[in-house]
Amino acid sequence: MTALLDIQGLTITAATSRGAVPLVRDVSMSLDPGEVLGIVGESGSGKTTTVRSIVGLLDPNVSVTSGSISVLGRTVSEPGREDYESIRGRHVGVIFQGTGSSLDPLMRVGKQIIEVLRRHRRQIPPAQAKQTMLETIGAMGFADPERVARSYPHELSGGMRQRVSIALAMVTRPELLIADECTSALDVTTQKSVIALLSSLVSENDMGMIFVTHDLMLAQELCDRICVMRRGQVVELGTTEQVMESPREDYTKALLEAIPSW
Amino acid sequence: MTAVVDSMPRAGFVRGRGAVIGFGAPLVLLLIVAILAPLLPLPDPNLQDLGASLLAPGSPGHALGTDQLGRDILSRLVYGARLSLLIGAIGMLLGAIIGTVLGLLAGYYRGIVDIIVSWLIDAQLAIPFVLLAIALITSNGRSLIVLLLVLALFSWAQYARVIRGETLALRSRPFVLALRAGGVPGYRILLRHLLPNQAGTVLVLATLQMGAVMLAESALSFLGLGVVSPDISWGAMLSEGKDQLVYAWWIAALPGLAILITVLLVNLLGDALRSVLDPRKRRY
Repeated sequence: MTALLDIQGLTITAATSRGAVPLVRDVSMSLDPGEVLGIVGESGSGKTTTVRSIVGLLDPNVSVTSGSISVLGRTVSEPGREDYESIRGRHVGVIFQGTGSSLDPLMRVGKQIIEVLRRHRRQIPPAQAKQTMLETIGAMGFADPERVARSYPHELSGGMRQRVSIALAMVTRPELLIADECTSALDVTTQKSVIALLSSLVSENDMGMIFVTHDLMLAQELCDRICVMRRGQVVELGTTEQVMESPREDYTKALLEAIPSW
Repeated sequence: MTAVVDSMPRAGFVRGRGAVIGFGAPLVLLLIVAILAPLLPLPDPNLQDLGASLLAPGSPGHALGTDQLGRDILSRLVYGARLSLLIGAIGMLLGAIIGTVLGLLAGYYRGIVDIIVSWLIDAQLAIPFVLLAIALITSNGRSLIVLLLVLALFSWAQYARVIRGETLALRSRPFVLALRAGGVPGYRILLRHLLPNQAGTVLVLATLQMGAVMLAESALSFLGLGVVSPDISWGAMLSEGKDQLVYAWWIAALPGLAILITVLLVNLLGDALRSVLDPRKRRY
């Protein structure tokens, strides 16, 4: 079986005025369809840089200097060659961190979803595009998709906006969903409902998901496997049980101990 | 409770559709008067009558007085509005288009595009405008087209600099990343998302620049590089009248007042438009 995502020896470097600074060093990981991989680590550990490199959204001064990334057996990045256009949206959907600004504040949310849909299905008739858009919004647990589609982002609550962002990433039915700290800015109850939604989307559509978080408890709830990152390197990678019950690395133990117990 | 909400003070008085109509209507009226100038019962603006020179406003037959050559000020103001508005609007539009496009490209694509555009902006802002204008107008001959291009050159850098900075800030916002991750191509993100999100900035800048362009035109006219007789603009009238300011204030003061009121109205209209066009500030 072809792996959904295969990252081998990925090294990402930022060009700064003080020379080249490595952000991510020799990271390897893979993901099979239907699997949820959690990437856990503190701020600055390279989680976001790693997942952004999968869709080629690194800052201009940041680049992949060695290693390769392939999605569904198709190499999207290796030194000297990049091909992100073929996978963006079509095979990989991304949900970004933050609730306020992941949607264009000046465009009705339904229109934004249709815009992404039309990029990948150019011949789709307008009525059918609208139908698909409403169905996708409906699948996010909204009772009145029509009304949500007509809203501007500021008319929705933070949790609703994040669910719309998920709809934006899901409308093209990608095989791989990347959730980059997508629940960090939400309150605990909203967080729970978004997590439940992601979990059901993954199992219903047999998708793979990478769930980036700094919260080990959330990762434990959602993920099959957990990858712990620190200072741009993978320090531990194993099944959720292994990592949570018998961590091999001191850093993971420290992270686990930092979880408040009650 | 609604009574309490309704009686709450509004944030600024230049808000809403009422303000757009209130500030827009006088400008539209001015535009109509300027366009219909030849049909209005006004004396020829260039008709000299040395027997009736330097008449004060309120004189019979010359409601706003006459200048040193006995030309009717009201008529000259109405005819001057045509060129002043045309120059202000087109100079502002040309600068806005050039500056906004370059600013968007530099801010979004960065790299070499940004280096070139930023270098052009710095070069433009470093060269004294009047010097550049003298060089361009004397070498290319005095014509309306050259004047408009010089004025566009005068204003584009301001737009480019502001729009570049705002695009840089916007492009790393999650919504732009989300659209890129969804496969939406760069030109579409620029046109449909980054440009609308900065329309308010462009609009406000444009209204400020329209005033600046009208003033720049009057400065050039004063130097004999802009509009020259028999063509009339408010700027040219202003500079012609300044020598008589001590004993015939109205010759310079009235076109100055016309510039002041027009620029003020355009600025207020821009502010009102901005609040109406932004859905976040819309009232329901």
